[in-house]
Amino acid sequence: MKNLKLTSLNGGDNKRTVVTVGKVKIGEDFVVIAGPCSVESEEQTIRTAHKVKEAGADMLRGGAFKPRTSPYDFQGLGLKGLKILEKAKKETGLPVVTEVTDPRDVSWVCEYADVLQIGTRNMQNFSLLKEVGKIDKPVLLKRGIYSTLQEWLNCAEYVLAGGNPKVILCERGIRTFETYTRNTLDLGIVPSVKEVSHLPIIVDPSHGTGRLSIIEPMSLAAMAAGADGILIEVHCNPCKALCDKDQAMPPDMFAGLMKKLQALRSCMNEINQDKKNRPSRYSETP
Amino acid sequence: MNLKEIRENIDLLDSKILRLLNHRMELALMAKRLKPQIEDRERERELLDRIGGNWKGLINAELIERIYIEIINESKNLQQKDNKLIAFQGEHGAYSEVASRKWNSDLIPVPCSGFAEIFEGVTSGLYDYGIVPVENTLGGSVDQVNRLLINTDLNVVGAVELLIHHCLLTLPGTDYREVSAVYSHPQALAQCRYFLARNKLKPVQHYNTAGAARMLAEKKLKGSAAIGSRLSAQLYNLEIIKEDIEDLDRNVTRFLVLSKEENREEGDKCSVIFSTEHKAGTLFRVLEVFARKNINLTRIESIPNEPGSYAFFLDFMGSNKDDKVVKALEEAEEITTDFKLMGCYKERKVV
Repeated sequence: MKNLKLTSLNGGDNKRTVVTVGKVKIGEDFVVIAGPCSVESEEQTIRTAHKVKEAGADMLRGGAFKPRTSPYDFQGLGLKGLKILEKAKKETGLPVVTEVTDPRDVSWVCEYADVLQIGTRNMQNFSLLKEVGKIDKPVLLKRGIYSTLQEWLNCAEYVLAGGNPKVILCERGIRTFETYTRNTLDLGIVPSVKEVSHLPIIVDPSHGTGRLSIIEPMSLAAMAAGADGILIEVHCNPCKALCDKDQAMPPDMFAGLMKKLQALRSCMNEINQDKKNRPSRYSETP
Repeated sequence: MNLKEIRENIDLLDSKILRLLNHRMELALMAKRLKPQIEDRERERELLDRIGGNWKGLINAELIERIYIEIINESKNLQQKDNKLIAFQGEHGAYSEVASRKWNSDLIPVPCSGFAEIFEGVTSGLYDYGIVPVENTLGGSVDQVNRLLINTDLNVVGAVELLIHHCLLTLPGTDYREVSAVYSHPQALAQCRYFLARNKLKPVQHYNTAGAARMLAEKKLKGSAAIGSRLSAQLYNLEIIKEDIEDLDRNVTRFLVLSKEENREEGDKCSVIFSTEHKAGTLFRVLEVFARKNINLTRIESIPNEPGSYAFFLDFMGSNKDDKVVKALEEAEEITTDFKLMGCYKERKVV
């Protein structure tokens, strides 16, 4: 791919990027980021944070600034939401991932969050990308809803070229002719990214499918495809969620998913151990 | 002005009226210390005549008198209670006040404009206690206070180590994106330098942290913020945009509590002050006394007294009820001049 000076793997010459957030190493461990779609109240966020922590999540997600399709939908709590996330972090110790939508907010969101998310609608918001290129906090870059791998990596290139090497890619489904699911989760992109780039990639099956019943199988599939983690929307009371309630997972179901992921992880470790013994074109240099 | 603006002004005046009333009550409590009895009919009559006499405003004289009779009654109520006053330097909301509340929340903190005023006031009996900062991990020792400590007869009856947490404060409803100037004491601004730089905020010096918060509230400065304590946010009805904005988390200020009375409770720390003769090894011999008795020193400070002569402050762990400490004090006194045990007290650490 052309012009990907910093994001490409260069035929295996570059070392794979590992992004460290607190104790979590994204690109090395399989990380699970979970939490509500949006921060609705202190009670809802902190309760959900405790639940996902109990189930074994590594990080907390939650939106304070919500880019919504309709201007009349809940737009997020803004600064108040950031303060709630900070409190949830203090109580649970979970690092916080939250979306930033406006270049003017970047420095402020950095004061509260550990990882800044660039949402699917803002993937090609170049002034925002330039702004997060200046910070020293990791950036979770979601794939644009109509974007090709090349376009996506070019956006990551903006952040790296700005001076911030800590980029995590996140596949969240793309728009196809299929209407049964909210988006089409493109898991083929996971090994594709691994072939051409050194950046870690995680998968968001909540937005990728938009259907609660499909999130679990696709989470497992993401792990099997070699993703570095998943991002799951969990709500302590899904039917009351102000945003994306059809894909909000109740905490007990999330705990069940975590158990299955653990079982699959040991399977995957075994398989990969086997793979390591065979020579591979893309094998990492030790 | 539209209705919203008028109401904002009314809210502002109400909070000012409350603060002024509070100030008036503080003065009444101080006046009690200086008059023979609480009841003073002559003064009350004089006060009511003066206030009502020349008044040409909207409120009628009768109402003014009714309001003032209520205020005077409440002053007398407060005067009757055995309230203890603690003087601190600065304005309400200052970190010294935060420390005084942590030391003893039953005391009434009274603001003073300067450190000398605190020492004088406690000595004359206007206040029961005074609280003064002696050192800060980032700013060093507070010279002015140390000088006053050399010449005072007051006792040290307590100490507080306060971890300073700064907050960014704005008028309620301010959009944080509009904030450009940040007012505070130069030390507070310096302690948040990286935070200000990261968010492209311009530091503006003010004489006092709590004073900056009050000015922000009273002048309703749009596009501005102040750095101050959580307490000042509550007192001046400001919104906390961000807590803990200090660059380093080792920002500790140590305060001493002074009183005319000696501390009667068991202490775990002592403060002494002394001078030594201008001869080789005199200071060493004093320190040796403590070292041989295995007494842990926590602070040593030298203050130039006159040219070539120094006063030394020494703090150490131990109680003056302990034989080892008593012995050390006796031995040290013999080999020094102007030796004085300033007090034995409990040190409180507040995070």
